Amino acid sequence: MSEGIRRRDFLKVVGAGGAGATVLGCSTQKIERLLPYVVADEEITPGVATWYTSVCGECPAGCGVLVRTREGRVVKVEGNPQHPISKGALCPRGYASVQGLYDPDRLRTPLLKEGGGFRPLSWDEAETLLAQKMAEGGRTLFLTGRLGPSMEALVEALASSVQGQRVEYESLSEAPLREATRLAFGVDDLPTYHLDQARLIYSFGADFLETWLSPVAYHRAFARMAGVDDHASKGRLVWLAPRLSLTGQNADEWVPLKPGSEAAVALAMAHVIARARGNAGPYQAVLDAYPPARAESLAGVPAAVVESLAERFLEEGPSLALGPGVAGHHRHATGANLAVHVLNWVAGNVGRTLSLGQKDQAAPSRPFRDLQEALAAMPGVGVVVVMGTNPAYSLPPSAGFRQAFASAGFRVAFATGLDETSALCDLILPDRHFLEAWGDSAPRPGVFALQQPAMQPVPLFDSKQAGDVLLSVALRLGKDLGGVTFYDFLRRRWQGVAAEAGHGGPFEDFWREALRKGVVEIETRPTQESPGLRPPEASVSFEPPDLEGAGEFALLVYPSPRFGDGRQANRPWLQELPDPVSKMTWHSWVELNPRAGERLGLRNGDMVVLRSSYGQVEVPVWLYPGIREDVVALAMGGGHEEFGRFAKGKGVNPMVLLPTVLDEVSGTLSKVVVRVSLEPTGVRRLLATTEGSADQRGRPIAPAVSLAALTGGGDKGHGKGHHPDLRELQGKGGFVPVPTEGRPEDFPLEGSRYGEYDPEEKPRWAMVLDLDRCTGCSACVTACQSENNVPWVGEEQVMRGREMHWIRMERYYEAVDASHPGPVDIRFLPMLCQHCGNAPCEPVCPVYAAYHTPEGLNAQVYNRCVGTRYCANNCPYKVRVFNWFTFTDVPEPMNWAYNPDVTVRSSGVMEKCSFCVHRIREAQNRARLEGRRPLQDGEVVTACQQSCPAEAIVFGNIRDPRSRVSQLARNGRAYRVLDEHINTQPAVIYLKKVTFHEAPEGEH
Amino acid sequence: MATVTSEQERGALTHPDVQSFSQVNRDILKVLSRPGRGWWALFLAATAGMVVFFGAWGYLVARGMGVAGLNNPVGWGALITTFVFWVGIAHSGTLISAILFLFRAPWRQSIYRAAEAMTVFAVMTAGLFPLIHLGRVWHGYWLIPYPNERFLWPNFRSPLLWDVFAVTTYFTVSAVFFYLGTIPDVAAARDQAKGLRRKLYELVSLGWRGTDREWHHFGKAYVFLAAFATPLVLSVHSVVSWDFAMSIVPGWHATIFAPYFVAGAIFSGVAMVITLAVPMRKLFKLEAYLTVRHFDAMAKLLILTSLIVLYAYLTEFFMAWYSGEEVERSSFWNRVFGPYWWATWTMLVCNGLVPVLLWFRRVRRSIPALFVISIFINIGMWFERFVIIVTSLSHEYIPFAFGMYRPTWVEMAIVLGSFGWFFFWFLIFTRVLPPVAIAELKEVLPAPFRRGAEKEAAA
Repeated sequence: MSEGIRRRDFLKVVGAGGAGATVLGCSTQKIERLLPYVVADEEITPGVATWYTSVCGECPAGCGVLVRTREGRVVKVEGNPQHPISKGALCPRGYASVQGLYDPDRLRTPLLKEGGGFRPLSWDEAETLLAQKMAEGGRTLFLTGRLGPSMEALVEALASSVQGQRVEYESLSEAPLREATRLAFGVDDLPTYHLDQARLIYSFGADFLETWLSPVAYHRAFARMAGVDDHASKGRLVWLAPRLSLTGQNADEWVPLKPGSEAAVALAMAHVIARARGNAGPYQAVLDAYPPARAESLAGVPAAVVESLAERFLEEGPSLALGPGVAGHHRHATGANLAVHVLNWVAGNVGRTLSLGQKDQAAPSRPFRDLQEALAAMPGVGVVVVMGTNPAYSLPPSAGFRQAFASAGFRVAFATGLDETSALCDLILPDRHFLEAWGDSAPRPGVFALQQPAMQPVPLFDSKQAGDVLLSVALRLGKDLGGVTFYDFLRRRWQGVAAEAGHGGPFEDFWREALRKGVVEIETRPTQESPGLRPPEASVSFEPPDLEGAGEFALLVYPSPRFGDGRQANRPWLQELPDPVSKMTWHSWVELNPRAGERLGLRNGDMVVLRSSYGQVEVPVWLYPGIREDVVALAMGGGHEEFGRFAKGKGVNPMVLLPTVLDEVSGTLSKVVVRVSLEPTGVRRLLATTEGSADQRGRPIAPAVSLAALTGGGDKGHGKGHHPDLRELQGKGGFVPVPTEGRPEDFPLEGSRYGEYDPEEKPRWAMVLDLDRCTGCSACVTACQSENNVPWVGEEQVMRGREMHWIRMERYYEAVDASHPGPVDIRFLPMLCQHCGNAPCEPVCPVYAAYHTPEGLNAQVYNRCVGTRYCANNCPYKVRVFNWFTFTDVPEPMNWAYNPDVTVRSSGVMEKCSFCVHRIREAQNRARLEGRRPLQDGEVVTACQQSCPAEAIVFGNIRDPRSRVSQLARNGRAYRVLDEHINTQPAVIYLKKVTFHEAPEGEH
Repeated sequence: MATVTSEQERGALTHPDVQSFSQVNRDILKVLSRPGRGWWALFLAATAGMVVFFGAWGYLVARGMGVAGLNNPVGWGALITTFVFWVGIAHSGTLISAILFLFRAPWRQSIYRAAEAMTVFAVMTAGLFPLIHLGRVWHGYWLIPYPNERFLWPNFRSPLLWDVFAVTTYFTVSAVFFYLGTIPDVAAARDQAKGLRRKLYELVSLGWRGTDREWHHFGKAYVFLAAFATPLVLSVHSVVSWDFAMSIVPGWHATIFAPYFVAGAIFSGVAMVITLAVPMRKLFKLEAYLTVRHFDAMAKLLILTSLIVLYAYLTEFFMAWYSGEEVERSSFWNRVFGPYWWATWTMLVCNGLVPVLLWFRRVRRSIPALFVISIFINIGMWFERFVIIVTSLSHEYIPFAFGMYRPTWVEMAIVLGSFGWFFFWFLIFTRVLPPVAIAELKEVLPAPFRRGAEKEAAA
């Protein structure tokens, strides 16, 4: 017992410790070994969190996570800092996975369809029935999403043992990229991109900050590349697509292409480069056909722009071009990806900023054609088992999935909740959530990670891990697939990993270490040297596709940054997370250029009917300058017909507008296919948006500094006058701000009238946010929500303006023009409580509920608050949020996700960011327990800081001149919002965004 | 007191139709006899309004503050608007009774009783609103400094706390002042009443007998309280204005607020006195006591305060422009041309434009016209506070946090229901206390009928 704790023993201890709610549910027969990560097993005590490593199951990217449990319950998921993909960060979807675990709409028992409804079954009955149906004859088809390697192996093994077949279907499949890579370089896999190695990135619509391939990993790499460094050097992103996604909003320049014309532009650039370098290789003929003039006519980009883009692609290198993502998939999607590969190849990027891996890319890359073929053969199928995919929702109705599916003999679904596809099934088997189940992932060559259950399955739901069920069914069919439980199966497979890793000792040690660390990294063979470009194939077309229909607008359907293809739509945190682009919550919207809106007489919130020849949807208009005038865009993920109370009926599903048109080469379902008409209905709705105004009105809220000014020194750079004069309140003469010699870290100054700081020992907590790194991804918003028990309020309340987030991700347009190529300047500003030294909220509270701690925190005492709301009125930053109702009464068991370290607030009190005071106290207590050692810089990490994939947030003691915070506060880009105007003396310091272009209104 | 001659002149001037002291007693005390149908109709309506008021408040407490239309930029709305409105109404009572008393204005006697009653009930109404708008009203007493074992003390830097003190002080003083003034009249009522009613009046009149000694003390006390109440007229609304002016909200933070609010309060209070006096005069047949001259005088007060208020509006706009401060300018631009333009223009028209009619003598002397104008001013002054509170909060420093506020039915029920609560008390007042000050009125009447006066004295 010295090196591990038995899970049941652990739970017994915890139960005795008072967490009686953890009821032992059904479990696998064998006792498993779990290892806590941070706290050694001897130290498990009620009241102290235990952390487990695992792998995020929200998308196939396979980010490593640390799961925080308290008294046997999962309360938070965070990125695992040791995992090479996530490196400690996660995306909002990852943070919201806790709500998937505690989803009140999860299935409670196995269900059998009978008559019009479902009848509960016992697991024994259900497994017997499934085995019987599979034995009865007919082929068995396994229709799965992207699975972890061991689960995939198990399904494949079972499928082959019953002469069945496995088909993978993921709606966000990057099959065209894989096919293009195969055609270009002969490697049948997805390439790996090294964004941090590049200095100039051309993205042809690849939304690598949102859903493309591995968003968290690319996010970090991008921030490292695009954030200005100590030598005032900064990488550049050029966005070449019809619409600015979140990734596009982070670009420095925008070339608004016509939809589907990526290949023409990429080839024209390759043409220019090849002309200069004379290395068109086998693509000479193709490139000859795409001179810049051709790109001008096809894509609407002036030839001169193409020429200069091509020249810069060579000169400002190392460069990298990224192919269109799912939102850019059209009939010739493979051609578009191939064209981008060609561009990378002629520029010499292959092997430099882009490498071709060996095997096992986590991102899905199987084409829809696999499923289409399986559907065609469906009438002969005896049993179809659906697992981890929801084609009834994510395919256009025209794909005929429902009809084909109905023709199968017996339909079985493994699902955590009832979604559109499982609702069509005869037998529904409640699957475990990934936080309760075993699994593994291999997201990148040489990276292996284990997904371990972090808690006993939520006892309200009689669930069973799909792998266990399959093995049990296999046993009933008399097949031995290598284990009685999936745990055995997984361990057996991992013996292979141990061998590959060259582990010499006992397997148990390897296994335990893998669980402790959460990841096993194996030195991989060096990436292949730049392989030769293969000659083009005639079947691949590079032409922009013809769009169907006579409507005025081309329709773009893009993966939602919040829901992906819609699989996270049942998470209230994500429904209420303001979309990073539109700031909309809960409902769908159609993006329309304001000029087009003006032409049609449409304003924000006007309901319109979007009609294609395949269907129609009714959505409110949102005018967005970041989209071409001839294009409208709809996000995936809305309009669920099933999928629980939080997703059902929210928004619309854009798939109903699409025909089933494939990219002929890769077999991928095209998204850019139709034109739609837009008909006003004359009805207007209130939008559930968190955006007040996206115009800064020249106020110094999110100012920027141009790179030239930063490097050129002078009066705009690091030099004199750049830092605004600081002022303090002087004791004499009342509250009169007077200029001071002080620096931010010196506050409060001696004799200063305000503040109750301990003069010597106590720290002054402060935060620095680097706006040049912040991408507005909003992971911090959800991480904060999870950490601090921030409630969600629902669509109705957001419409009233009552969202409760402690961080408001503000987004201001400075320069966005869809009519021609040019600079983009969109500013993001995470606005949270500024913990002002001279806080306007504090003196106005009649009962001292808002007060200043000796450590410089602006504290809010919930149980003292009477709810006058004066503090919120007087807060210039508008970061205080009021509990208009008791929003924290959530359906069981969602309340299990509450962090026991943070008060759960009820109706009538004010709340706001606390600078994660419980984390500060935890660190201070730990330091005290460890013998009164002083806190180290960086020991206190706030939830938002922890979550930030761009590493834009730094927290610490500004009193300590060596702390990172005080060093950054001395940075030439440092400023404090409105401080010069109203002398609030915030403890939150922002670093200005750095732009390549001169800010049109100067530096304000 | 002034000379008899001038008193006579005044009385003849102000109440030409009052013949004798006994007529005064008769006419005024008649009001206290059995109520007519009109009164009952009004009383039932007021009671119904009061039921709505408490029903809506109960609903708000039970469900949570969210049933109001407030949100995160706009934390105060119709409820605080109505609080300021009622505090404003409460002003003219003390102004008319105390300040005009000290200045010996000849026309106050007929109206001051009703105005004082209005003051007391308006403060009673106003005082409820800060409680209503608390998120946790059950902890409202935490605003009061009371000794407790945890040494928790309210924050005396908070203008809200000043408010608590200003409003409670004002309420106490005006209630005492009101009560003191009624003592001789209650005694007069006692003399005519029978049974239980008589007993009660006897108790309330503190055994007043009308001796010289009593009158002497009464006069002293009255002057003293008048002098004491006078600064409160200015202070209470100044303090209410500081709820806003002490904050840093653009549109609130202005040094002009205290005088501006006081003038506005008097403006709205006088308008409310007219609104109340016109029907009262008709209902209780007090035409002889509330004469056109009284209304004319009040209308002149309206002209004065309207001009001050209008001047304050213009100063605010000018200062917003002159400051050169973008946030301030934007706030005021938004006020006039933003989404709440209709509220602002209602305010400007009702408070600035409509009172211009009062420059005409014929309008001032037309009771229906005055009644209509006074209603306009009441509405305009409600919107003034609405504009100040809501438009400023909805459009502050951070553009991304701009927001819109729309009142809900619950708030409107409370706002309108508060009139029910107010009139409930006011109508009871008209039945239990002489609505016109009998004793003081007699002071200004000529005393031509010695015999009658002696008779009265004997009675």
